[in-house]
Amino acid sequence: MRTLLATGWARTLAGQLFAIAIALALGSVIILLIDESPVRVFVTLMRGAFGDSEKIAGTLLQTTPILICGIAACIGLRGGMFNVGIEGQLFLGGFAAAWVGFAFSLPPVLHVLAAMALAVVAGAAWVAIPAFFRVRFGTNEVVSTILANYIATLLTSYFTIFLFKRPGGWSETPPILESAYLPELFSFSRLNLGLLIGLALAIVTAAFFRWTSAGYAVTMVGSAPKFAEYGGIDVRRVGFGVLLVSGAVGGLAGGVETLGVHHRFMEGFAPGFGFDGLIAALLANGSPVGTIFTALFFGALRAGSLLLEVDTTASREIITVIQALIILAVSADLIMRRRGDRTGERRWKF
Amino acid sequence: MDLAVDLSGITKRFGAFTANSGIDLAVRRGEIHAIIGENGAGKTTLMNILFGLLQPDEGTIAIGGKTMIVDSPAVAIGQGLGMVHQHFKLVPSLTVADNIFLGMEIRRNGLIDRAAQEERTRSLSEKFRLRVDPRERVAGLSVGMEQRIEILKVLARNARTIILDEPTAVLTPQESRDLFRTLRSFVDDGMTVIFISHHLEEVMAVSDTVTVLRDGRVVATKPKSALSKRELVRLMVGRDVSFDRRPRGQTNGKVALEVEDLWVRDDRQLAALKSVSLSVRAGEIVGIAGVAGNGQTELAEVLSGLRPASHGRARLHGQDILDLPPAAIRAGGLAHVPGDRMVRGVDRTASLSANMLIGRHRRAPFARAGVIDWSAVHGEMWTLIRRFDIRARGPEDPARSLSGGNIQKVVLAREFTAGGDVLLIDQPTRGVDIGAQEGIHDEIMRQRAEGRAILLISTQLDELKALADRILIMFDGRIMGAVDGAAMDEDAIGLMMAGVDPADMTEA
Ligand SMILES: Nc1ncnc2c1ncn2[C@@H]1O[C@H](COP(=O)(O)OP(=O)(O)OP(=O)(O)O)[C@@H](O)[C@H]1O
Ligand SMILES: [Mg+2]
Repeated sequence: MRTLLATGWARTLAGQLFAIAIALALGSVIILLIDESPVRVFVTLMRGAFGDSEKIAGTLLQTTPILICGIAACIGLRGGMFNVGIEGQLFLGGFAAAWVGFAFSLPPVLHVLAAMALAVVAGAAWVAIPAFFRVRFGTNEVVSTILANYIATLLTSYFTIFLFKRPGGWSETPPILESAYLPELFSFSRLNLGLLIGLALAIVTAAFFRWTSAGYAVTMVGSAPKFAEYGGIDVRRVGFGVLLVSGAVGGLAGGVETLGVHHRFMEGFAPGFGFDGLIAALLANGSPVGTIFTALFFGALRAGSLLLEVDTTASREIITVIQALIILAVSADLIMRRRGDRTGERRWKF
Repeated sequence: MDLAVDLSGITKRFGAFTANSGIDLAVRRGEIHAIIGENGAGKTTLMNILFGLLQPDEGTIAIGGKTMIVDSPAVAIGQGLGMVHQHFKLVPSLTVADNIFLGMEIRRNGLIDRAAQEERTRSLSEKFRLRVDPRERVAGLSVGMEQRIEILKVLARNARTIILDEPTAVLTPQESRDLFRTLRSFVDDGMTVIFISHHLEEVMAVSDTVTVLRDGRVVATKPKSALSKRELVRLMVGRDVSFDRRPRGQTNGKVALEVEDLWVRDDRQLAALKSVSLSVRAGEIVGIAGVAGNGQTELAEVLSGLRPASHGRARLHGQDILDLPPAAIRAGGLAHVPGDRMVRGVDRTASLSANMLIGRHRRAPFARAGVIDWSAVHGEMWTLIRRFDIRARGPEDPARSLSGGNIQKVVLAREFTAGGDVLLIDQPTRGVDIGAQEGIHDEIMRQRAEGRAILLISTQLDELKALADRILIMFDGRIMGAVDGAAMDEDAIGLMMAGVDPADMTEA
């Protein structure tokens, strides 16, 4: 037991569960304040998220983009880069995939690959500007990527409304061709191949950091840049690459949403997935495999909240409150762990 | 007896490892009490327990005669204790005054009262004769200055008992003398000083009482007057240690490293190296003597590719290296032991294996086709742990769980085995106990015998005397002169270190 607790991940897990527990407890207080029963709210949430196989599929459907965005965030965090622009990369990726989907006619598999490829490129290109400023002038990437988010949402709206708007329809592009659809996994849900892509990505990312030379270099740049520089690692190049790959994965998340779920691009197309992904990654302490679980948690909250307004007097926004509380609890936990610095705890495991 | 601090039966375990075992330590009020012992003997651990940073598994702590539980530094500070850590904890982007009052800011109307903080810093600085400029930013200050700030930080919190963990490891001899004068004035004022050191001369010179730790136990606590340096060595390492000049064979190797008319700027864009020229042959140890801060660090950095040169040439095996990135210089055969081990030398959060791997993470035998073979890495780290006598539980220990001297050994082990045939060694034995110093000197001599070219930067003249074939003396970014290592004229070196041109000496 002692050795189990001493290992990094067990401690991390204990810390995260603690953070979630605190957030739920505080959330309960707020629910009580609005004269609703916390038990009923949480039971409803659970039913809404995992009540039957359709609900579970719904949860997984919400989990998918959060997971992929979470992996994008993990990659950045590991290299010491705080990519807060995943939301924007997702929007551009989503739009790029839609464009390939409706504007071109290609054979089935090829069509999906082409659309995904452009989504990835769009995401990477979108972060390339903040990345360049970061490594060239030391501009803080947190600020520049946040700003880039606003531009991305407005830019994609502009494209959609002024260049490609479906005649007579909503603010959305024409639908993509069926040849560009991601295959669905079950007949009763829109849950699609995207989930498997996300899971595979998590595993591959974890393996990359654990076992490859490049993953090692990224980790060293993230945790001790001066040491990395001294050891002959090109800190700027690695930093740039890390942001680019993180952005590419953000773009991929958008492509998956377009090709798997909406089959078109529309305004407000994937609200908040980028941020949820970032929080999921932070809650998992930057671990890609851990992010699978935290993303599932946030996916379940989202899916479960659909039932909330039907069955209780609580509004869906209570979910946002709980998420905010989790962020607070996680940051508090991080501070606690910084205090733990002196005990010689290590951050990443090799 | 009036005891400032009384520890009894202190035991501290880290997992299965016992770092302190039943330690009794009584420190009288108004004395300077030195704590010595090998790397990993448990000195820092014991002080961290006293200061509330670690909790003992057994034992009691009494401060000023009151037995109490010290479960945080706040409690210790409240009892008039202050600690200057082995590795400083200043915020580089803040000013001196801001650092001193960090966490206890002087406020007015809810805002930080900068003027008052600066005023108070100035008065402390005058009272204790520790000269600082309250408004200066800490970034770029010398270590001696940083330490002064750390001490002022402690004094600002009204400490009456001050703990200093290896305060002189990073200081120049002059700075050390100043420090000890300051500490003396503290005890004359009735304050108490506990300090940890590996320099036995200074322990003999300034302390009133000495406690020797070994393997987590107290082996002796004696008044200094009852001890000799030799006895201290015996108590510490259990045998005699000599720092006589090492015998050596003749060498006549090819020139491996050559520097010509090199000019370099420091972080503040001032000239740090002024027309430096030198050369090192294979199988030769060239020492660089000088008071710290006279350009030695910049020399090491520019040669390893970490700092741009503004003018001049440097060749490694005939190849120009001034425009090459660090990786290419490493690949060309240079290994570098940095002077600032905690920032440059290791990633404290990473495992020993990950620390050993740096620079070698792309190639066989540790990586193939971009995939790391961690079992090979761990295997090599085990070998190094044994060969360099690193006190660690294993390759997967995070570096920061090691004692300061053992971290230094990890850096040395990595660089000595990295395959470079030119070794750039900056302060090899900083913070290393004397038993281990001897081992490191053995290792450096072995590297010399194997035909490596070694540029050895040290502020310890004794170290250069024992090892170097030739000694160059640096002052204010210039090489003032060279002396033969075998017939070393200490007076001449001392004068050159102070900036006197050897050409003027002969006249005098
Ligand atoms: N947090 C920790 N976890 C595990 N082991 C630790 C931890 N801190 C210290 N140790 C171990 O305890 C022993 C004593 O360490 P300590 O830092 O007290 O040594 P020291 O006497 O100060 O040595 P040095 O002269 O090298 O600074 C070392 O072997 C070290 O590896
Ligand atoms: Mg120590």
